[in-house]
Amino acid sequence: MSQTCVRTSIGMGIHLTTISDPKFKHNLLSINFVLPLDRDRASDNAVVPHILRMGCRNFPDITSLNTRLQELYGANLDASVYKFGGYQVLELSIRGVDNRYALEKEDITAQCAQLLAQIVLDPKLDGNGLFYETDTALQRRFIQDAIEAEINEKRSYAISQCLQTMCQGEPVAVKTYGYPETAAAITPASATAAYRNMLKNAPIEIVFTGAGDAQAAGKILADAFAGLERTPFAYQPVKLGPAPASVREKTEEMEIAQGKLVLGLRCQGLETPRQIGAARLFSALYGGTPFSKLFRNVREKLSLCYYCASRFDSATHLMLVDSGIEMANKNKAQDEILHQLECVKNGDFTDQEIAETKLLMRSSLITTTDSPSATEGWYMAQILRGQMVSPQEDADLLDTITREEIIKAANAARLDTIYFLKGKEEAQ
Amino acid sequence: MKEIIRSQRLGEQYQKILHPSGLTILLYPMEGFKSAYALFATNYGSVDASFKTDKDEDFVTVPAGIAHFLEHKLFESEDGDAFERYAKTGANANAFTSFDKTAYLFSCTDHFKESIEILLDFVTHPYFTPQTVKKEQGIIGQEIRMYDDNPDWRVYFNLLGALYHVNPVRIDIAGTVESIAQIDADLLYRCYHTFYNLHNMTLAVAGNFDPDVVLDAADRILKPAPKQELTRKVADEPDTVRTTLVEQTLPVAIPLFQIGFKGKAGKTERENLWGKIADEVLLEIIAGDSTPLYRRLLEAELINQTFEGEAMANRDYSLTFYSGESRDPKRVRDEIATEILRLRSEGIDPQLFDRVKKAVYGRYLGAYGRPEALAGLMVTAQFADADAYEILEMLASLTLDQLNERLPVSFDVERCALSIVRS
Repeated sequence: MSQTCVRTSIGMGIHLTTISDPKFKHNLLSINFVLPLDRDRASDNAVVPHILRMGCRNFPDITSLNTRLQELYGANLDASVYKFGGYQVLELSIRGVDNRYALEKEDITAQCAQLLAQIVLDPKLDGNGLFYETDTALQRRFIQDAIEAEINEKRSYAISQCLQTMCQGEPVAVKTYGYPETAAAITPASATAAYRNMLKNAPIEIVFTGAGDAQAAGKILADAFAGLERTPFAYQPVKLGPAPASVREKTEEMEIAQGKLVLGLRCQGLETPRQIGAARLFSALYGGTPFSKLFRNVREKLSLCYYCASRFDSATHLMLVDSGIEMANKNKAQDEILHQLECVKNGDFTDQEIAETKLLMRSSLITTTDSPSATEGWYMAQILRGQMVSPQEDADLLDTITREEIIKAANAARLDTIYFLKGKEEAQ
Repeated sequence: MKEIIRSQRLGEQYQKILHPSGLTILLYPMEGFKSAYALFATNYGSVDASFKTDKDEDFVTVPAGIAHFLEHKLFESEDGDAFERYAKTGANANAFTSFDKTAYLFSCTDHFKESIEILLDFVTHPYFTPQTVKKEQGIIGQEIRMYDDNPDWRVYFNLLGALYHVNPVRIDIAGTVESIAQIDADLLYRCYHTFYNLHNMTLAVAGNFDPDVVLDAADRILKPAPKQELTRKVADEPDTVRTTLVEQTLPVAIPLFQIGFKGKAGKTERENLWGKIADEVLLEIIAGDSTPLYRRLLEAELINQTFEGEAMANRDYSLTFYSGESRDPKRVRDEIATEILRLRSEGIDPQLFDRVKKAVYGRYLGAYGRPEALAGLMVTAQFADADAYEILEMLASLTLDQLNERLPVSFDVERCALSIVRS
């Protein structure tokens, strides 16, 4: 038994992708709106799925809507916003148990699909056709809080600050929820305009993952979206500029116990899936596994940290290396991280290290097919990368990548920014 | 000794084997799955700070964080670390320590046989030296520092510290930089030999694998463990909370809060498992997202979407708490307390009860569809002297009367504490 993935066009710039797998006990249905990241519009866009999650015409308040979800065996209705390369993706999804577990033979899957369609296409609007002031105010506050709360998690905050420094002025630097001033400016009129723009101009990706009747669920959504007047823009994966002539450095202070060091690199000239695959392998071998260069040396050998890892982003070709360390060890850790990078660039790794890294990546890739949400995430990323390969096919491609290709990918990585979040002097 | 555990409700089954070595083995092959997930766990966590076996004269009290330290150290052997061995099989390996268990795990899609051999081998072969202990103090020291800066973690342990006077559940799982400095190889061996006795352990595997491969590996690798009697010192914990309010300053945006209620632990771990499920339903009934209280709090901007409830019960403690972000956590606490008192006098709405039960049932069902969740569920149930399906049955058989009776015990407004982290 394996998964079958089918992608069809069901309207102007609207695609339905179904991934059927009888082993799943749940069905996950998501609607994704893809919009270009835009500094001035990011907050208005981001608030839309959260306002929609407050209710629809049929279930006009949060209590009646959540009551309905409980009746559907605790179905999860989620609103989220995420970045992919230079794009902002607004997602509404519903996850419910498969019909075979219904206690009274209800068609849970169809009812979930209907509810999701109502949430997205039949919102509650006031007499002027705008979102209600109360819902808008609540969700404006939530967006503002989410922006401010970025400082709560120091590791992700440091990574975000490094990206901001590195990509200043480029669309990829625009933050998921926008900025304090753009969030404060959200009004019912601006949020409703963002909603109408999303329905009219965003490429729409509907993804069904599960064991249930994908055709029936797909038809409910296709019917719901039929008749929308649309002029979707043509989606193009973004390309980033080159690294600067000299490395940017930025240090910030906060009252914290542990310093956070982040190194941002740009991998340049990667065009084909094969070259990108080589860069992924390079990043994993360098700092993506518990037997990588960084783990073995910075953590295990020098005992400098609990984590030191590198991650390569296939959407932007940026690579970030980060570690949590004693403030006083900053230079020591940085030197070792860069030294290990040179080692990889010089081909100072064994064939066994390559084989082991490939084996672990294969295992992780194939494992994604055992979870509906991981499977959905995989195929959404494929769609946004403009390709459509299964995790199995991707693992097969990685297997054929050679040592020379990994070294070439490593040499395409240019250090762009060194960011350090350190404790305030008096706090140390 | 082999037993088949069946669920009529799910139409599924798994095997439970009491291996001659003393280890309990739970095997749940899942059709259609590509990955297998194995969890080798000992019934030993951070709260087991004071104990004795029938061979010991008196109780020993060990430094805080030692269970977690041991978890890190077991990965090392004389000839390299377990991660390097797993590298040859492609398995994704890890481990974790909680209040009441330590578990070693891997997930893989190929070379299952080699990976299960590594797992059974390294966990049963400790190797500690003064040098390797010292090295780990540096690494774990940074792990502790990382948590010191984590406001979610701080607000949580500050709450536990407020609810409990002496129960070790109030102490951070990783201990402190000072407590782990007292750990040496001898202490590690003592804890190891006490708690890593196979009679105190369970191996659970779920997903794509052949049960015979596991049993064959167990036969070859595991040596029979001596029977031992293990006594854990029960904390002399008063019923009252230690303090009703605790605040800490950290760089955060909106204040983070947790409102906790100190419950009463059951006499057995099985009772605690039932109690935790009942409390999860009560959390939804009091302030779940379909309640009028939730809507009121949300619309008054006293809470936001991060608000949620959680129940915990192990060994000798039982508690529930709500967490979230608020500009006025004290008012959130007061509103919740008022609602609890109202429910106590008016009783729980039967319709709400039915709905919440159905929703929690749907949520639990999810765990039976993922190898990693299922392996975890099997171990949790086993340590509570239950089987994995009983969790669904306990939920299905909950009655309104039981919940009305439990409400004042698990949600006693006199035994409530508020933890706040603000900048």
